Amino acid sequence: MALLKVKFDQKKRVKLAQGLWLMNWLSVLAGIVIFSLGLFLKIELRKRSDVMNNSESHFVPNSLIVMGVLSCVFNSLAGKICYDALDPAKYAKWKPWLKPYLAVCVLFNIALFLVTLCCFLMRGSLESTLAHGLKNGMKYYRDTDTPGRCFMKKTIDMLQIEFRCCGNNGFRDWFEIQWISNRYLDFSSKEVKDRIKSNVDGRYLVDGVPFSCCNPSSPRPCIQYQLTNNSAHYSYDHQTEELNLWVNGCRAALLSYYSSLMNSMGAVTLLVWLFEVGWARWGEGRGIHLPLLDLMNGWDLRQAQESAVSLLQTSPQLSCGSDRPKFE
Amino acid sequence: MAPVLPLVLPLQPRIRLAQGLWLLSWLLALAGGLTLLCSGHLLVQLWHLSTFLSPSCPFAALPQVALAAGTVALGTGLVGAGASRASLDAAQYPPWRKVLGPLLVAGTAAGGGLLVFALGLTLALPGSLDTGLEEGLGTALAHYKDTEVPGHCHAKRLLDELQLRHHCCGRHGYKDWFGVQWVSSRYLDPSDQDVVDRIQSNVEGLYLIDGVPFSCCNPHSPRPCLQSRLSDPHAHPLFDPRQPNLNLWTQGCHAALLGHLQSLASTLGSTLTVTFMLQILVLLGLRYLQTALEGLGGVIDGEGEAQGYLFPSGLKDMLKTAWLQAGVAHRPAPEEAPAEEAPPKEGLPEA
Repeated sequence: MALLKVKFDQKKRVKLAQGLWLMNWLSVLAGIVIFSLGLFLKIELRKRSDVMNNSESHFVPNSLIVMGVLSCVFNSLAGKICYDALDPAKYAKWKPWLKPYLAVCVLFNIALFLVTLCCFLMRGSLESTLAHGLKNGMKYYRDTDTPGRCFMKKTIDMLQIEFRCCGNNGFRDWFEIQWISNRYLDFSSKEVKDRIKSNVDGRYLVDGVPFSCCNPSSPRPCIQYQLTNNSAHYSYDHQTEELNLWVNGCRAALLSYYSSLMNSMGAVTLLVWLFEVGWARWGEGRGIHLPLLDLMNGWDLRQAQESAVSLLQTSPQLSCGSDRPKFE
Repeated sequence: MAPVLPLVLPLQPRIRLAQGLWLLSWLLALAGGLTLLCSGHLLVQLWHLSTFLSPSCPFAALPQVALAAGTVALGTGLVGAGASRASLDAAQYPPWRKVLGPLLVAGTAAGGGLLVFALGLTLALPGSLDTGLEEGLGTALAHYKDTEVPGHCHAKRLLDELQLRHHCCGRHGYKDWFGVQWVSSRYLDPSDQDVVDRIQSNVEGLYLIDGVPFSCCNPHSPRPCLQSRLSDPHAHPLFDPRQPNLNLWTQGCHAALLGHLQSLASTLGSTLTVTFMLQILVLLGLRYLQTALEGLGGVIDGEGEAQGYLFPSGLKDMLKTAWLQAGVAHRPAPEEAPAEEAPPKEGLPEA
């Protein structure tokens, strides 16, 4: 007794073979897409590893890269099996490997689903990494003559300009650290001496921010120093002034950037996963892959149906298609 | 009446010609597509920089002509690919026979003409960028403070973003800002003696300071940015105004923008050159293929040796034929129809 009898004539078989060949190559393309997404994310994380204390987790991009490579490998292997299946001698060689191959395919699909979930869930760890990294970055802003940290000022300035943000949570973070190096302070000035004496650690704290916090959309030239002193500037009220500096904190800005990146990658990976699983289910539901291959090998139809039924009863899924379109 | 530049084409070389032509046509289509992309990119850049280029600058004509030339090249490439593919298949060739002649004329005239014009513009126009940028940047600097004047309210933001993105300051250097009032009078305290002194110190009553906007600051500098009192040697510790200023961007925006736009124009120029050469090759190949197949009467697999040529007769003969044909068309009952009116007059470029 056969599962789902399907009548085949030559034309239908050829169309089916062509369709399966196309699906196979689409899967390889999808694998390449996942690989490049993982690579892109890795490069983006590397670019900003300075403000993440070099301790950010590369789990998501690494797993995307590995999944992409594995997907290409498995689907090319599937193509090779089906191509060889048209030759009885070679097909006999591959037959004992089919069941383990199908089991590995199932595992691969489960792993792909887990990676998709990770893409959406990595936000929390990224947030804490960014908070620590930015705090340290701002602390080393003035150390432009310390080897190993001399680039931190440039990094933070370019970050604030590019992401339109200021400080960790807001511009007031700059009031709490000394971001002007001692080399550029005039120690004979009374004002400098007062400020240094006004706190325990002897730091020169100002109510000012670096120039990279300035917002170009402000109608007045940027006010960077004496931000809390209304009388220092004409017609200025620091409580109501909104456009002078960027209001976002860099932690929130970077977090939203990376979240949107990982969400879109998760969505693409989910689509690819659905494609892989859906295609396999379709193939199994029709029960045609193996009878088709057997038919193409010229086997007896009854024999073909029996072999298909026995295989379908023992394995949960098939993900194999013929990849040689026949022009007869 | 000897044909111009004849070439004997038996079956195998004809097939090779068709195959090579197919490849070249796809390359031409690719080159046409690249030209389209390059000119599109240049148009977008010009649109973004429109505030800094005076409206009378003719530079914008270059990407527009290049866009048209790229489209025609793309079309020629696709037609060439279709025709050369069809010439290998007896069933598909007949519909192409009638169409190929006029298409070749159109391709040579329109495509060739546009490409030559675009190349000429690439060589001539970048010179006009100088004056255009000079005027445009001067106006932008003067209107920096006019953030509440309709029509100029975006000048400050656009100029700040330009200086931040292109790493430049002022027109030719940061000192240009010393000669312009860039702080709006709304934010000047009229009771402050310093403000009054400065305003009275010059004829036009402008508030001029030796300071620059924040967007001139260079993040690579080791010290926090110095923007004000740049001519005063005692205003800041360890700062000497006579030394080159590492605090601010040294390049002027005029030079920065000029370099940027000129490099875009030269990339476009090289793409246009490649497209032009490919187009000539494709058109020549198509012409030879067409005339060879016409010689065989449209039979693709004919084993006979056909002769391909550029023009069926020399230039003088062609002009004479064209003149007589025109004369024949005007006189209703001509008896001296010239014997040169030999049958296939297809695709004669009579222009």
